[in-house]
Order: sequence, then structure tokens, then C-alpha cells
Amino acid sequence: MADGLRLEGLSKHYGDNIALADVSLSVPDDTYISVLGPSGSGKTVLLRVIAGFEQPDGGTVQFGGERLDGVPAHRRGIGFAFQNFALFPHLSVRDNIAFGLMYRERDPVIGQRALRTKVEDIIELVGLTGLADRGVHQISGGQRQRVALARTLVTEPRLVLLDEPLGALDANLRGRMRGELRAIRQRLGVTFLHVTGSESEALAMGDRVIVLDRGRVGQFDSPDTVYNQPASPSVARFLNCYNIFAGRLEGGRFVAGQAAFATGGTPRAAAESAYCIRQDLIQIRSSESPPRDGEAGILASFVTSEYSGASVQYFFEADGGRGVEVEAHLGHRRPEELMPRQPYNLVWNAEQAVVFG
Amino acid sequence: MSTTIANAVVTNPPARAPGRSRSWTSYVLIAPGVAWMLLFLVLPILMMVYVSFWTQTTFTIKPILTTKSWEMFFSSDTYLASLWTTVRLWLIVLGCTVVVGYPTALFVGLFVRNKTLSTVLLVLCVIPFWTSFLIRVLAWRPMLGEQGAINIILMGLGLIKQPIEALLFTELSVVIGMTQIYCVFMVGPVAFMLSRIDPNIIEAARDLGAGFPRIFRKIILPLSMPGVVVGAIFVSVMVLGEFATPAALSGRKTNMLGNIIVTQVGSLKWAFAAVAGVVLTLVMGMVVALLLRIVDLRREL
Repeated sequence: MADGLRLEGLSKHYGDNIALADVSLSVPDDTYISVLGPSGSGKTVLLRVIAGFEQPDGGTVQFGGERLDGVPAHRRGIGFAFQNFALFPHLSVRDNIAFGLMYRERDPVIGQRALRTKVEDIIELVGLTGLADRGVHQISGGQRQRVALARTLVTEPRLVLLDEPLGALDANLRGRMRGELRAIRQRLGVTFLHVTGSESEALAMGDRVIVLDRGRVGQFDSPDTVYNQPASPSVARFLNCYNIFAGRLEGGRFVAGQAAFATGGTPRAAAESAYCIRQDLIQIRSSESPPRDGEAGILASFVTSEYSGASVQYFFEADGGRGVEVEAHLGHRRPEELMPRQPYNLVWNAEQAVVFG
Repeated sequence: MSTTIANAVVTNPPARAPGRSRSWTSYVLIAPGVAWMLLFLVLPILMMVYVSFWTQTTFTIKPILTTKSWEMFFSSDTYLASLWTTVRLWLIVLGCTVVVGYPTALFVGLFVRNKTLSTVLLVLCVIPFWTSFLIRVLAWRPMLGEQGAINIILMGLGLIKQPIEALLFTELSVVIGMTQIYCVFMVGPVAFMLSRIDPNIIEAARDLGAGFPRIFRKIILPLSMPGVVVGAIFVSVMVLGEFATPAALSGRKTNMLGNIIVTQVGSLKWAFAAVAGVVLTLVMGMVVALLLRIVDLRREL
């Protein structure tokens, strides 16, 4: 098996704006990789550099053991699915999909029979059977997404770059397409690099997750590791499910303003000190029962709650107006009746906190 | 096999808004336009058709219906020749405006991705229109004449020994003049359509491995066709109705239908002018109908 994708020291900036700062990573073959980053973290630029639409200012892209410097986009064997699909508006579904095979400069497929078979196969694979002769404006958003995917898959790339592929779909469809994308990738055995701004999408889709933070790789791990052990406070922030307290370590305790938390295990080295605890690991207790041994906690007053079916999100306010969020899954317990403006003890197991110092 | 299945699916008619009865406001809004068109377009055309059947004597015209003017038009070599000149010049000028205008539009609309710059370039194309039509036409005389700028430059460069006489007062000078004047009407619509093409589409085609010639023929050209057709309609209607440019630049050697009408009106031959006018209107109608068959503008725009 040939090597997968290797990036070494990629950098790219536009004027004073740094889009990529020293991105190095190595992606194995035949995997689903999701790239998570907030807007402006350089994730689209990264894809465009890998695809060959933009040249990096420094660093190299290697794919299949070959350096790709100066190799034009269409010679890289890398497919690209655009966020807005970029389908050819005047062509039918079939002609959109056949475009690459028919008109590529390098060994185009000339035989009508071979062409037809390949196109029909891929149409079936992505689930567009019966729609081949429709115009691309006569099909739904999800179907257009499949056409965009089929159009690049039919040229048999070994790596497919997907730029926020589910961003243009409504929530319902997005959920269904997640499973589809994973299934399609598995059947073809290619590598997908899926860029997204949604943490749940990144964790659900990727065999491994790359977290981009201001043009750098913040973390590259399995979804489980990223979720439970974020590599830095910023990664924890992108995950959108941590309470993050700024402060400093003092003799085995973490001091954040007037509060001090017990720490379990050894704190991790990081540029910024922070104490992170996942919202769903916090218990709400009455103000009379303080944290016990091995527990950490903070006194905060209840503000409001938000019910979302399977879980409830509680919003508290601690000293100095600092917000603390608690997520309670309703499968395990009934929602507590909390009194607004009343103090409660928010308590968690100190071992489960992620501490940076 | 699979085609028939797919066709069956396609035949589902697109949903159409139910024919609701229009409110009186829409009638009020459309009334001035309708009145204007009736008074100044439909009525004059009907009048023109009517007058073309009147009886013409040397100095007067009588409302006695006759087909004499029509018979004279279609039996005279001069008039049939001018009909052919009109069609020929129309085809040549239309071809020239496409050949000159399309690459310009391609550059302005597609290659220049900076919106401000492309607007500036389009304004540059329109600058000649700040002077009057007649001046723009007449300005070609000192350019193309025997002692004109082009001959002086070519002789100065030593490319020719004798001045080229064929430049002015020929059909060539008419074609040059008209192409320059009407080219911008081609550039505008084409550049507009090209600027609407999503750059991602071209990037996608590139990524799929197609070279520029293929991308141009299969993607860019079809997507800009509505612009070409709109531009062609502008240019055609104006060129077919021309009389000033041939009068000024051909030395009265090239006579289009427009020139015939001007001459006949000048000598008070109203019935005959009306015949030429009806013929010209019919030619224009056919040309526009033909162009509209190429692209379904209502769908594309």
C-alpha cells in the first residue's frame, strides 16, 4: 500500500493574515478524517492547498510518496467536493458525473459503453438511480450533494477532500447524509478528508479528528481522545461541551478567582493555564452539601434552563458573573426542580477534570 | 432502458402558481406601458402597412389601395440588391462584433476577478458613447482616408509603399465603423453572463482534469450563450436599421434598406418608403425570432 498524505511545515498567509502556520501531519490511507476548526482557523485554505488550488508559502504536500509541489490540481489524483457543490448548471445529472471521465486531458474514457457502465455504477452507489437524466436544478439539495460526490468519485481519486459537505443541507438531511458518506467511503476504500465547523459532525464522522487552531494542528487523535482529553484549552473550547476556568496552579490546587478546585492526576503543560470540566460530568447538589474528598466544586446560583428532549442544559452564575453550564441527560435522572437566583453546589470528580498548567 | 425510466420521472410538470385573478393594481401598473406601445408602436406599424398599399403619383399620394409599390420593390434590381446588402452587412458586422466582443467580455467578465476593476473596464468600453453618434462615425474618415492616420502610420513603418485606398468609402469602412460602434452592445451582456459563472464551477472542471479548451467549449460557452443572444439581438436590430454609417463612410456606394427609406422619404415617395419599412420590419422580426430559438432566454436569465 502506498503512503497516504503527508504534510510538512505547510504555511500560507494573505497579507498579515496567517491562514496556515506550520501544519505538519501524516494521514493514513483508507480512513475517514474530519478536520474541525472554527471559522477562520484555516481549514478551507488547508484543503485548497492540498487540492492544488492554492500554492503554500512554505512546506510540502506529499501524497502516495510523491512531492506535489507545482503539480496542478488535476494531476494529483485528489478529488474535491465543493461546499456549494459547484455542479455544472446546464448539464444533467449523468453529464455532470461523466464530465471528468469524458473531458479529462489524461486518458479520457472514450468508449460509450465503458463510460455508461462507470457512470451507472457510481449513480447506483450514491443512490441516485432514476435521476440520471434530470437537470441539476430539478433535484433536491441532498441529491445535489450526491451528484457532487459522484462526480469526483467516478474519476477514482485515492483521496477526496470535502469542504463542509453538509453545510448547505438542512438539519434533518444532514443527519442522514452522515451515515451515507461513511458508508460510501467504506465501500470504495478511499480516504476522505472532511472539513467541518461542527464539533458533533467532526466527532461522529471521523475515524480520526484533526483540530485546527489558528492555522496550526491543535490535536490529531481519535474522536474519543479528542473529546475526553483535549490537548489544549482552545481545543476544549471548540468542542463546545467544557466549562473552562482561567486561573493558575497553586500547590496542587487550581485557583480561579475566588474559587479553588482540587486537581486529580498531573496537569498537562500548555501555553495557557486552564481548568476544564465537561458539562455532563457535573452534579447539582444543594448549597448545604459541599464537595467531598476527591471532588471539586463551585457554588453558583441558578439562572435558567433549556430543555432539548434527551437532555437539559442548566445555566448557572458563579462569583464575578462567570457562567457555568451543566448538561443533564434525562435517560438517567429526572430534571431537578431548581429555584432561580438560589445558590447550589456544582460538584464533579476531580479526576475527570482536564487541567492545563 | 434506463433512459425511459428517467424520462418518465422527468415528465412530472414543474409546479406552477395557480392562475389567480389579477387585482386591479396590476392593470393600473401596466396601463401606461400598454397605451404607449399601442400609440407609438402598434398603430404606426399598422399605418405603415396601410400606406404601403396607397397609390403613389410623382408628387402626391392617394388612399386608393394598390399593390404597385410592392410590385416595383420586388422587380427592381436596385432594391433587391439593397435588401441583400442589408442582410450581408448584418451578418458580417454581427460576426465581427462576436469575434471582437467575446474575447473582450471573457477578459472583463471572467479573468478579471476584481469587481471594481471589471466595472472600470466596462466603463472604459462605454466612454466612446460620451460623444455623439455622428461624430463617432465621421471620426473614422480622418482615420481611414488616403491621407488618414492608418495609412500614414503604415507608410511610416515602411510596411506599405502606396496608401491603401480600399480603407475608406468602401463596404470595408462601413463594416469597421459599425463594428466599433456596436461592439460594446455585445460586450456588455456577454460580460454580465460570464461574471455570473461561479468560479468554483471552473475550478471543479479543472480538478476533474479538463483542459482550458474543453472547459471553454463545454462549460463557459454554453453558460454565456444567453449573453451572446441578447447581445446579438441588440446589434442586429441596430445594424439592420442603419443608414447613417453607410451614408457617411461608403461615399453613397453602399445602400442599405435604411438608406432607401431616407431617400424615398426625402423625395416624398411615402408609399414606397412604407414598402421598404415593412420589409425591414419583417426582416428584423425574423432575425429576432431566429436568435430567440437558439436559447430559451426566459429560462436562462
